[in-house]
Amino acid sequence: MKPLAGVRVIDFGQLTAGANTSAMLADLGAEVIKVESASFMDLFRWIGSGRETAPGWWNRSPQFRFTNRNKRGVALDAKIPEGRRVILDLIAKADVVVENFRRGVLERLGLDYATLATRNPRLIFASISSQGETGPYRLHGSFGSTLDAMGGIAALTGYEDSKPVISGSHVNYPDQVVSLFATGMIIAALRETRRTGKGALLDISQREVTSFLIGEEILASSADLGPVETRRRGNAEEGIILQDCFLASDRRWVALTLEDEADVASCRAIVGGDDNLRDGVAAWCAAHPAAEAVAGLAGAGLAAAPVHDGAALKRARDLAGHTLIWRASGEVVKGMPYCFGGQGPAVACDAPDLGEHTEEVLREILGFDDAEIQRLAALGVTRAEPYA
Amino acid sequence: MTKASIVGAVPGDILPLAGLVILEIGNAQAPICVRLAVSLAGKIAADLGARVIKLEPPGGDPVRRKPPLLSRGGTSVRSALFEFLNAGKTSLTLPDDAESARASVATLLSKRIDAVLLEEGDEASAPAVARGLAVVEVRGWPATMPTPGPRLSEFTTLALGGLLDMVGDPDREPLRLGGHQASYSAGLSAFTALMALLVERDAGRPLLPARVSLIETVTWVNWKAIAGVDSDGLAPTRQGAGSEFQVVRCLDGWIAVVFTVTQFENLRDLVGSPILYDRKFATRQSRLENIRELYEQLSPWFASRTRDQIYAEAQARGVPLGPVCGPADLHDDPQHAARGFIMPVADPSLGLLRSPRLPVLWNGRNFGPSAPAARSTLDAVLG
Repeated sequence: MKPLAGVRVIDFGQLTAGANTSAMLADLGAEVIKVESASFMDLFRWIGSGRETAPGWWNRSPQFRFTNRNKRGVALDAKIPEGRRVILDLIAKADVVVENFRRGVLERLGLDYATLATRNPRLIFASISSQGETGPYRLHGSFGSTLDAMGGIAALTGYEDSKPVISGSHVNYPDQVVSLFATGMIIAALRETRRTGKGALLDISQREVTSFLIGEEILASSADLGPVETRRRGNAEEGIILQDCFLASDRRWVALTLEDEADVASCRAIVGGDDNLRDGVAAWCAAHPAAEAVAGLAGAGLAAAPVHDGAALKRARDLAGHTLIWRASGEVVKGMPYCFGGQGPAVACDAPDLGEHTEEVLREILGFDDAEIQRLAALGVTRAEPYA
Repeated sequence: MTKASIVGAVPGDILPLAGLVILEIGNAQAPICVRLAVSLAGKIAADLGARVIKLEPPGGDPVRRKPPLLSRGGTSVRSALFEFLNAGKTSLTLPDDAESARASVATLLSKRIDAVLLEEGDEASAPAVARGLAVVEVRGWPATMPTPGPRLSEFTTLALGGLLDMVGDPDREPLRLGGHQASYSAGLSAFTALMALLVERDAGRPLLPARVSLIETVTWVNWKAIAGVDSDGLAPTRQGAGSEFQVVRCLDGWIAVVFTVTQFENLRDLVGSPILYDRKFATRQSRLENIRELYEQLSPWFASRTRDQIYAEAQARGVPLGPVCGPADLHDDPQHAARGFIMPVADPSLGLLRSPRLPVLWNGRNFGPSAPAARSTLDAVLG
């Protein structure tokens, strides 16, 4: 299913929040053109082995490969006037722009929504930012972990009565969820534009998305008028009798949830003893390898599972479903968190090298000839190697 | 954080999903974590203007009793979780006896319905697909597995998708993220899949049912754990006190210390301790090797300042430190207030409460939060 076939996206997205949103649009059939340049590459190109030493290191990052499959890549330098002009021409022929620059960057380059909308009133401009297009913090920079803290999730995450915990740079949870939400909103806006002929500025704040995902806590805190101390409870959850991770004899962790008294009875039948339930489970798990412990607990109808790490995830292909795609080369890229009729996304092309499709795109979409392409190259607009 | 006044709601002039009717069918056999995902997808659709009819399983949706509760003066009234997820919907409870319940669903499906949100194993799936409706089914286990695995909780989906392993201290048990992040990220996936189906439907093409799984979504969210294995052969895991970014005490709470390689010098100048200029903190690698000492040097500066002071001084130097805001703090946050993010909702018994709108401004327009769910009957809905 290619619901977005015929939709052209200009992708200024970088790292996860922006680039991954465009990748999700590409997986649904959109034609995505990623715009970078010698003076500004997606920051993910800097991450990975052999960085800044191996030849062509900027085309080797696994993180970049994960979030940019199914896109074409062009190198067009917006800091050179001719480069900016070509980018404007491309956007005039596009349906969607996705960007997650720091606020102010596109304005300085004259590529802000107000400017673009005068040339292309049907344009959908997805502005994904830390704290939104407006407000006193609009220019404030952040990383995923900043927003874990400011969005409210960190305050609810942590060991019992201990300090708040962030998801950290290896997860950057706010970056992941914003791309799920932004993709859905862009598709909603495409339907609206087809109906009304009018484009839209979608102003999406990552901090707001993060706060939205603890909406029930925000609502609850508005009812109780007294001072509220946010408590951290480890893995426990109010209303659930016992929930935690237990260390097995092979030093792997077992996650277990006992919701009600029936679960407690089933669990007691396995772990034995009639004293403290938590201690009983801990002692029993410590005496069994994780796989055996999970099999025993889950076999009795309890919610028990091994805690997978990255290596286990890569081995557990059946669990990944359509969310990871194994390439013939053995490499893995990210897939979709949904499937249609049991079919996941296909990888039509790998993540592009810097500027891999510049010429192809300029000829095909803007009708440029050899002379024009050579002129841009001579001006440095289409340079496809980062400056030293 | 600093107190600030609330900006009033800007009413949306067009609702993008106006005119759509979406049926959200609860299945008593599905785990609650699946229900929460379906409910969130339906909530977003309702805030965008769809008419969402929520069919609660016989006996009512158990989420009505789930914490956090709306309470005042020690008296709990209703579930804030249910209210948040189901605002703007029309809710009916399916009859106890299975035959009547099936007949009710069949009657509704025969009416003008555009889309159906289902929980795993619901038998309405096949007839809804046959009728050409947009169908999104949420499951716990991946749909690709030949047979579903054993019982799941939201917590065990976080374990299986590897997200648990990433959070907390390496020498302690893995830690779940607060709230319902497995269910809610799957709910966002379900909403996005629904939008894709609607585009396909607009084009008059035949529809395939969409499936979303909690475990798959958690794995997808946690993709860096897998990319990390590819990058340097080592799976990243939780780092705790070895992490470059840590949460430290300040006068009135906590601060997440976050900075890039290029921002360390600004952080160092901000804190100003002479030892921070030592060679052992000069590179990222050497800072990681001396991370405990680095934080010992940073901590006193933070301990003597408030979150507001620290945030303002850090932003002035371009360092993205994150003050830890609890849910109650967010009500008074100047940025959320300026953008009207947390808005008043009238509650039938508690008066004015406040809830977040959808996290998007569409040409400046906002969506939601909608009024609390209204209970209805089959006859009223059909009429």
